[in-house]
Amino acid sequence: MGKAVGSEPLGRLYTGKKPRRRREWRGLKDTMYDYFRWLGYWKTLIGFTLSINNIKGFLRYRWMLNYLAMPDYMDRHTEGMRGVQLRMAHQGLGLIVTDICEMLKKIFRADPEVGNDKAFNSKIVLFDENMMSTLMGGFPNLIWLSVEVPAVYTCSMLNQTGVTYYVEKTQEYGVPSDVCPMPAAELGVTLADDFPLIGKCAVQCNTTCDGSLMGNGMEARSFKIPTFQLAVPIRHRQESVQEYAAKEVLNAIHFIEEQTGETFDWNAFFDSMKRFNAETREFLEWMDLSKTDYPQMMGVTLALYRYGVYQAAGGRNQAFLDMDRKLTKLAMKGWQEKQMAAKEYRHRCMTWGVQAAYYTALPIWLMNCWGIVPIADMLTTVSTEMVNTEDKDQALLDLAYLYENMIMRNRSNGGYETGVEALFSYCEQLRIDMVIMYVHMGCKAMAGYHGLFEEEARKRGIHWIWVTHNLMCPQDGSRRDMRMEINRYMRTVLREEPLDPSLEDFDDSENW
Amino acid sequence: MKDLKHLYYFEKLLEEANHDLIREAQSRGQIAIGAVCFQIPEPLLNLPGCFSVRFRAPRTASMEMGTYYMSSMLCEGCRAILERAIEGGFEFLDCIIAPDACAQMNRCVENIERQNLCTKEKFFVSYADVPMKADDTALEHYVRQMREHVLKPLEEHYGIDISDQAMREAVETQNRISRLISEIGAYRKEENPRITGYEFAVLCTATYCSPKELLLEKLEETAEELKTREPDEKPGFRARVLLAGSEIDDPGFIRLVEDAGALVVADRFCFGSLPGRSEILLTEKEDPLTQICRTYMEWGKCPRFMNTAKIQERQTYIDALAKEYHAEGLIYQQLKFCDYWGYERASAFHVMREEYGYPVLSLDRPYVVGNSGQVRTRVQAFVESLEIKRAGRS
Repeated sequence: MGKAVGSEPLGRLYTGKKPRRRREWRGLKDTMYDYFRWLGYWKTLIGFTLSINNIKGFLRYRWMLNYLAMPDYMDRHTEGMRGVQLRMAHQGLGLIVTDICEMLKKIFRADPEVGNDKAFNSKIVLFDENMMSTLMGGFPNLIWLSVEVPAVYTCSMLNQTGVTYYVEKTQEYGVPSDVCPMPAAELGVTLADDFPLIGKCAVQCNTTCDGSLMGNGMEARSFKIPTFQLAVPIRHRQESVQEYAAKEVLNAIHFIEEQTGETFDWNAFFDSMKRFNAETREFLEWMDLSKTDYPQMMGVTLALYRYGVYQAAGGRNQAFLDMDRKLTKLAMKGWQEKQMAAKEYRHRCMTWGVQAAYYTALPIWLMNCWGIVPIADMLTTVSTEMVNTEDKDQALLDLAYLYENMIMRNRSNGGYETGVEALFSYCEQLRIDMVIMYVHMGCKAMAGYHGLFEEEARKRGIHWIWVTHNLMCPQDGSRRDMRMEINRYMRTVLREEPLDPSLEDFDDSENW
Repeated sequence: MKDLKHLYYFEKLLEEANHDLIREAQSRGQIAIGAVCFQIPEPLLNLPGCFSVRFRAPRTASMEMGTYYMSSMLCEGCRAILERAIEGGFEFLDCIIAPDACAQMNRCVENIERQNLCTKEKFFVSYADVPMKADDTALEHYVRQMREHVLKPLEEHYGIDISDQAMREAVETQNRISRLISEIGAYRKEENPRITGYEFAVLCTATYCSPKELLLEKLEETAEELKTREPDEKPGFRARVLLAGSEIDDPGFIRLVEDAGALVVADRFCFGSLPGRSEILLTEKEDPLTQICRTYMEWGKCPRFMNTAKIQERQTYIDALAKEYHAEGLIYQQLKFCDYWGYERASAFHVMREEYGYPVLSLDRPYVVGNSGQVRTRVQAFVESLEIKRAGRS
């Protein structure tokens, strides 16, 4: 037990029951830091409950229960960390926690069944879960919200069984169980009448996949507000689609203008995009560090934080840019001091495919148990192109390009070059020797490349580990099952011994 | 009923992906274009000098290689087609022109391309982005895509004439086929139809995977023969149904449904005639490409069309067809693992039943249905429920 990374057997935190003991001894300084951050999360939670609206919302919506697991979620996502890694995780993910709380407050304030603030509600434009908020930078007087993010996506990450009830609702309705659980869960929330019905109008998008698109159509029926469907091209690497993509984005802007009476403010939009570009530059700094032997901003911290910046904040929130800069500073410090996130780095890996929402902490386990360093993941590798902040026509084209390259869809759509070739190009750039390939049972887009992936990996001598899961349904492939697949490969193919044997096999089926 | 004179001929055509008529057309110097989806308008693939062959994998047994390359969680239709390609069954193709319409079929085509499963020297694959909404912006996009990813490559690789005149010619040929199919299909509206759903499906499916001109003669003779065909005095069915859903490229599925007592009087699926075998009406006021694209965009009934108006249109269209063809019930079927129809089927089951008042059977099925006892039992039960309803009403 001690200050050094990997000095404590972490398997002891898992008892087969709900965790009651999560504190690790990380040395005096890090333990105190971690503990005060943990107290801070409780403060955020308690502060949240001091509002009548929030209490009413908590009692009205079944999915709100999942938020009680938030402190545990932070513990899971900082497990074994020390120094810079610990600080980056707490600060980056902590900002997302605060942001989600703010979002929930706004939702409950507008919700006719809770706060019923009609004037406030009339300013809300509802976006679907996987859709970037970026274009709302041009509507500074309107409020961007997504009800699916707090009701479905974050719930599944906070509590592994957080949305299985809703997936089952959808299956009862008649949708087959082989579709992706995410749109299925969203539809389930609709069927269970568990979405706050807010907003002046809505914009949906053909975001991640065919299933997601279909779920949207059915949800739109229940929202009962004017809805615009933004059809972003699927073959988004083709030059011939860019003009259309820009026109569709412009159509979406016109729709919002018509519905709300607001006018798109180009100056505000350009300011927002300047922030977005600055955030992209920070991200590129992190990726540069990741090419070295001492990567810093990586794994789950990078993944979850990047979703928040790229998709939800979209340049509209200065707090994210400030945080980016803080993180860069921390990362530089860690790199200069050659700080490591595990006691030994044995492999550098990319995680590709869609990660299990119920096991976002797997990359941390990879490091702690096997010394596999998760340099980057598929969902993080989004567009790093700069958006023009002077020319309106070019800015529209650039904005459209962002929408074509939203998280997930930029890999699930666009064909072989985006799904397969891009991976191996990252492998070269980031000196990757292992790919943890998530087999998300409901994801048809990646499954279609199964054989081609193996052939390409074999050609390049990259270790390839398939890890099966079902995104939001742990009963179809538990966290333990996922670890088993990796353990088997490490033991039988690579004949390696774990860094922390206590983590090799444990039961966390009852954990949040 | 007396057997149709050419039914066996058409059935034989459907037994192979590369059948006699394809070989005949190729021997005359025509190029064969592999087609995977309704959303590349057929006339553009049937310009003078080329013809389209819609992918099918008849008589599929094992699909292990297809499953290895695409995993067991993907549409069996796509896996079966890939398997056939790996076996060399699509070597005859000169190119494949595919829209990126559903991810699974796209992966199937990409596998064919990346594994070099078609080896002709000038072989190429072209992918087009096709609209997911039906409006003016989408139409403009559609036209551009068809020009750049269908017409241009055909001209560049094979010197195909892509002039307006050539397009009008192709539309006229397709219209001749469509008029015949519509004329034959209209008999299904009769109280005691002189053609079964299976027979009609054989004729209609053949038109999607054969050089059209070479089919005309036999189709005309069949249409002529049907004018005087006498149906059996006692109808051989117990209920009339409309069949909707994922693509059905095997008329054997319809035979299975009909053997269970449900006559398929209307076909709203890919490879069906409604609306795929309607006439394309061209005027001189606008270029033919735009008109063809507009027609296909308006016809499009695939659930991938995501705007609310199109979603509602799919339901009203089914309602109108059911009334026109006097269907008592609807069967929504879905190829297993198809995301689009997985949702659409579930939704239609509720909407068409609760809002339109139709009895609905919701069915998911494998690609190779064969003599599926499960499907038969479910259709039989549905037919019985329709009979009970009918008895209750009377």
